[in-house]
Amino acid sequence: MAETVRPEKGLSPFRKVRNLLLGSLTAIAFVLAVTPLLAIIYVAYDRGKSALSLSFITSLPAGFPVGIEGGILNGIVGSLILVVIASLFSVPIGIWAGLYLWDQSHTRMAKTTRLFSDLLLGVPSVIWGVVGFYVFSTNTGYGFHWGFSGLAAGLTLGFIMVPIVTRVTEQALHDVPMSYIEGALALGASRFQMVRGLAIPAAITGIGTGILLGVLNVLGQTAPLVFTNYYNTGIPHSLVGSNGSVGDLAMQIFIYIHEPSKELHVKAMAAALVLTVIVLLLDMGIRLLAWGSRKYAQKNG
Amino acid sequence: MDPASDTLVPKIVVKNFSAFYGSVQALHNVDFAICERKITAMIGPSGCGKSTFLRSLNRMNDFVPGFRVEGSVTLDGQELYAPSVNPVLIRQRVGMVFQKPNPFQMSIFENVAYGLRIQGVKSRSVLSDIVEKSLRAAALWDEVKDRLNGGAFSLSGGQQQRLCIARALAVEPEVILLDEPASALDPISTARIEELMQDLKDRYTIAIVTHNMQQAARVSDRTAFFLDGTLVEVNETTKIFTNPEDSRTEDYITGRFG
Repeated sequence: MAETVRPEKGLSPFRKVRNLLLGSLTAIAFVLAVTPLLAIIYVAYDRGKSALSLSFITSLPAGFPVGIEGGILNGIVGSLILVVIASLFSVPIGIWAGLYLWDQSHTRMAKTTRLFSDLLLGVPSVIWGVVGFYVFSTNTGYGFHWGFSGLAAGLTLGFIMVPIVTRVTEQALHDVPMSYIEGALALGASRFQMVRGLAIPAAITGIGTGILLGVLNVLGQTAPLVFTNYYNTGIPHSLVGSNGSVGDLAMQIFIYIHEPSKELHVKAMAAALVLTVIVLLLDMGIRLLAWGSRKYAQKNG
Repeated sequence: MDPASDTLVPKIVVKNFSAFYGSVQALHNVDFAICERKITAMIGPSGCGKSTFLRSLNRMNDFVPGFRVEGSVTLDGQELYAPSVNPVLIRQRVGMVFQKPNPFQMSIFENVAYGLRIQGVKSRSVLSDIVEKSLRAAALWDEVKDRLNGGAFSLSGGQQQRLCIARALAVEPEVILLDEPASALDPISTARIEELMQDLKDRYTIAIVTHNMQQAARVSDRTAFFLDGTLVEVNETTKIFTNPEDSRTEDYITGRFG
């Protein structure tokens, strides 16, 4: 049997100490980085566990004050509706804009667009909310007069998502090796054929990550909803007008925590756990999908 | 200018050609002809402009920001840089193989079929025929015929490069440009690529850029020596390597610099 080689055995005492020191620092950094996640899950579980049950995620809020009985189905459904609206709006625009910035990256127009897009990334969400209110929700003046509604909130969230998708799409395309692109062009592919057939498939994992980042961001937004949707304890029948508000998990947590009710505080923490788990599942799902498709592509092309 | 020109049919004729990257001039007034069914090698030290020159022959430099050319390049008499010319069609006639093997993340079959698919060929039997023909021509068929649907990245580096050659052959180009095609390969794979070039020369016009002077001497019929963006000398390979006219060529091939 071969003897195990331990490289650190022959090190000088100074290098051994330095090795140990840097190794421990890395370990500490790792622990510090994962502690918040574990803390969130632990606190939310510890405070919310008495409310957790299957019916918590399958029933609507009931009782008085509303929510003291029943569950958070309104929030789950509402969050889903908002994410779908926001994605339908932002994914095509974001991918298109990202493609444009990549393809024309040196033009003045693209540089200006990139600057504006990056500035939009830094706009605080409460400002998005107020602007969304004036553009979509308010019933006076200019705008769409949709009232507090799922469509108003979904589109506002969509606007928040666009620069995220744009930025990540552009980056993912820039990561496609030049040799790959030249290979296609040298075979007589037009620029469009190359983008559609090679660049986008090669960048699809990165683009997916961009969409995921956007979705996760939207799932956690509360401030824009305060001005464009607020909240609904039921399932809406419409996405605009006076009955157009949808429920939302983040809003639900925000509202429950503000109620002077111990039961609602417990429900809020249980809802927080559900939201965190949804986020983690989405994240892992996308990663698994990306990993799987990469494996598949490597094997079968 | 060309002692043997009566036996040679020029395919690509370059006249007074200069190329610029922004304000930097990479090629100075090059006059040159690449002849039909011959292998033309381009040698010279790094940065001498030989790759720029090669990439100018199928307009691959169009995508480099700030790149522009002066002078004339004609393919069978057709001006390559005329405004009416569609570079996509030029690249279908003048194929290119790069320094690093760059297969697509697809199956072996789809890699070779890609150029045909983008031209709109859909028939499976036509595709199969041409894929087989191209892989045979690239001396890769026997090694991959049982795993055409396997990924291209499962091949070795040398096989990948021959796959890239097969891919270029599938669209039936008239000219094949090779940009240091063997510099990332081991000696055995290199030898196979060189043999392959000899096989292909009966049907195609080939231009190769190489850093390896022995390779140029082994494979090419004609050799051009570039230095600092100018074409110093072009002649039959045997002449260049045994009795060059320019002292700079002699200095380079005898290893005095570069």
